[in-house]
Amino acid sequence: MNRTLTKPIADDLVRPLFQTSVWFYAIVFAAATVVACGGAAWGYQVWNGIGSAGIRWPVFWGFYLVNFVFWIGISHAGTLISAILRLVNAGWRRPVTRCAEAITVFALMIGAMFPIIHLGRPWLAFWLFPYPSAREIWPNFRSPLAWDFFAINTYLTGSVLFLFLPMIPDFALVRDRSTGWRRTLYGLLAFGWRGTTRQWNRLESAMQIMAVAILPVAVSVHTIVSFDFSMAAVPMWHSTIFGPYFVAGAIFSGIAALIIAMAVLRKTLGLEKYLLPLHFDNLGKLLLLMCILWAYFVFAERLTVWYGNEPSEMAVFWASQRGRFAPFYWTMVICNFVIPFVILTNYKTRTILGCVIASFGVLIGMWLERFLIIVPSLATKQLPYSWGSYAPQPVELTIMAATFAGMILLYALFSKFVPIIAIWELKAGLPSRLDPALQVETSLLSTRLDTEAFSSEAERADRGQP
Amino acid sequence: MAYRWGMAVDIDKCTGCEACVTACHAENNIPTVGAGQASRGRAMHWIRVERYYEGSFPDVRLKFRPVLCQQCDNAPCEAVCPTYAAHQNEDGLNAQVYNRCIGTRYCANACTYNVRFFNFFNPEWPKPLHLQLNPDVSIREVGVMEKCTFCVQRIKAAKTEATAAQRELVDGALQPACAQACPTTAIIFGDLNDPESRVARLARSPRGTKLLEDLGAEPKITYLQKQPWHEPDAY
Amino acid sequence: MKAVYGLYDDPHVAQQAVDNLRAAGVADADITVISSEPFDHFEFGHRDAATHMPWIATAAGAVGLVASYYLLAAAQMSWPLVTSGMPIVPLWSNLIIIFEMTMLSVIIATVITLLATAGLPSRGGKMYDPEVSDGYILVGVENPTDFARLEPALAIPGGRVKRVES
Repeated sequence: MNRTLTKPIADDLVRPLFQTSVWFYAIVFAAATVVACGGAAWGYQVWNGIGSAGIRWPVFWGFYLVNFVFWIGISHAGTLISAILRLVNAGWRRPVTRCAEAITVFALMIGAMFPIIHLGRPWLAFWLFPYPSAREIWPNFRSPLAWDFFAINTYLTGSVLFLFLPMIPDFALVRDRSTGWRRTLYGLLAFGWRGTTRQWNRLESAMQIMAVAILPVAVSVHTIVSFDFSMAAVPMWHSTIFGPYFVAGAIFSGIAALIIAMAVLRKTLGLEKYLLPLHFDNLGKLLLLMCILWAYFVFAERLTVWYGNEPSEMAVFWASQRGRFAPFYWTMVICNFVIPFVILTNYKTRTILGCVIASFGVLIGMWLERFLIIVPSLATKQLPYSWGSYAPQPVELTIMAATFAGMILLYALFSKFVPIIAIWELKAGLPSRLDPALQVETSLLSTRLDTEAFSSEAERADRGQP
Repeated sequence: MAYRWGMAVDIDKCTGCEACVTACHAENNIPTVGAGQASRGRAMHWIRVERYYEGSFPDVRLKFRPVLCQQCDNAPCEAVCPTYAAHQNEDGLNAQVYNRCIGTRYCANACTYNVRFFNFFNPEWPKPLHLQLNPDVSIREVGVMEKCTFCVQRIKAAKTEATAAQRELVDGALQPACAQACPTTAIIFGDLNDPESRVARLARSPRGTKLLEDLGAEPKITYLQKQPWHEPDAY
Repeated sequence: MKAVYGLYDDPHVAQQAVDNLRAAGVADADITVISSEPFDHFEFGHRDAATHMPWIATAAGAVGLVASYYLLAAAQMSWPLVTSGMPIVPLWSNLIIIFEMTMLSVIIATVITLLATAGLPSRGGKMYDPEVSDGYILVGVENPTDFARLEPALAIPGGRVKRVES
């Protein structure tokens, strides 16, 4: 009775680890090639000087910082969302959490590279680290970049652990089902996990505490990223709204990335039974909520600036509203608001495909939003004599492409070596496992898993009961 | 008694000849980047002469404003530096320690005057131009931010000399290169802590204004002009 | 290691096996239940649920908060440099780093507590059966004094008893 229910789940979710299609190698090869190009581009830049990038006086921050903010934003997909869903005990979270948390970890790794890539002397990046050195000088803890160091490292540590801890029981499961090098590898990763009652109880307590702890950290990370800008007296940067505005934007783009990743996994790994239209519908609603919240923040920011009519701010305001940055601005509005709002408000278009289209819009729009925050302000600072412009150079574009390829590469490898859906969490969410009080809440997903998905003729016969 | 170096720039006297710019380049080993890089925004001028046009053709009036590091008391560039490359030194100078700089360029973004310059590439002085380098000033490598120092090498030398001779520094005896080169004496340099120095008196002048004073950075350069300056229409 | 255990497909049967062991006089602490998923809503899944983990995490957070304040202040006083007219130990901006270090302490303390109390990592050599990963629930006793007394308690319909004697 028990095993007929849970064994197919484990079989389905472990299968991608053992079966590899030629497409996997093709994707890994293609992505790795682009990543290698990015590495070469960075080497070229280090060798020749940071001047290989398009940054200039007075736009000293360009695509690298745009990508930094963008990727750190994407990293709010996982840990934040999965921690919230864990805390409110939303049953439909179970197949979603791990793919979300993996996005967080990889996006953070990629995002955290940019502050080093963009340095003038990257070989001295370790001077940002607080350690007692022979130089006898510590980092300046008043600098937002020092705050970034602490925030990103705390979030990365927390996210890696948050991702890894619930993977231990699944590693143990793969260990028991495999032979050869896999058995050794997963045996090491499983830490000798057996699954005693004590271990399960401790793991669940730890995850609960981690979820509580990681939430404020996630909020603080993007707030501090926004402080990189709002601490400086630069027109339209020096704003108190930036913290929550950035956090909202980060969650917005994070959900979009999650929806796209889930849609791809669903197709490529054959997870149609687990990543249901219900999940996309729910995440689509969340995306819609963030879309409206984002529009609210943009309106509040723009209205305050326009009404205040302060000359240096108005210069930036009009540069993006109807000046040389206007094409980007209006593309952003269409991608970030018009497209997702129209698609996601209508339940008929809030399908998997609809959600994916809306998500691509959001990713493009949110990337442009970061560009429009950074570049127009720097190009249009207080003294009109020193206004300038900025155009990215090939190195910047190559490195940017390499980070997207890097994300695909890391994600492909991850889903190859780790069950992308938490097997034990999915099992524990089956209705026969749940408290009657919780069954109503989670019935939608679970009934489908119990009855529809596994009720092929043969399985029903197997189960020996209707 | 600590010094507090300041400057007064008389806009009414400035002819826009840019002798200060040339002198600064020569004194401080500022690399010239060439036409190609200059057109890409990589030119470095620790002091620049901003030109603004007033009126419309043919009744055009040209105004000049030399802009250099304002050596702010509450410098927005300092706190944002994660390595203390930018900090306030004991003379109230906005010091830039090249060896500590790792090139985040945050200071240059935070600076509201855009007077910080970045070495996008390693500087080059094709022979025989290397012979003109000032031995008192270090060369900055790629990835390092630099800016006006009020000719700190001259200040150090003068202070050492005065200490050795056991006397006070005389007002006017010490000049940065720009002030020295100015044919109309539009640039006056001195100690603001000495209330009788020329610069301290000019700082109290009713003609005096500070650049972007309302931002609260408390710059130590006073601009003197009879007519109020109107920033050109920004948009 | 010697052990005797039963493998059960149904958690209700596993619960019965646990009850039988108790009736046979085995102390609760000596009964081991191993499963491939948590069984929160069965009595056997509740044994051992009490933990001081939240309090340990809170205490670690408090330690992190105080320690990071003093570490920051010590670093800032060790070479006092003035920037932007701010105090040498500026509380406002230090609060950001203090917050991050507090949360980091909570997270790390939680993980260390988890590893220590759950006995991870472990080198093996304990009672285990790979069939657990196929969905069976293992109920057993490690190093039993008397196999004969325990085996009947575990041998109930819907279960298989196994004995390890080496």
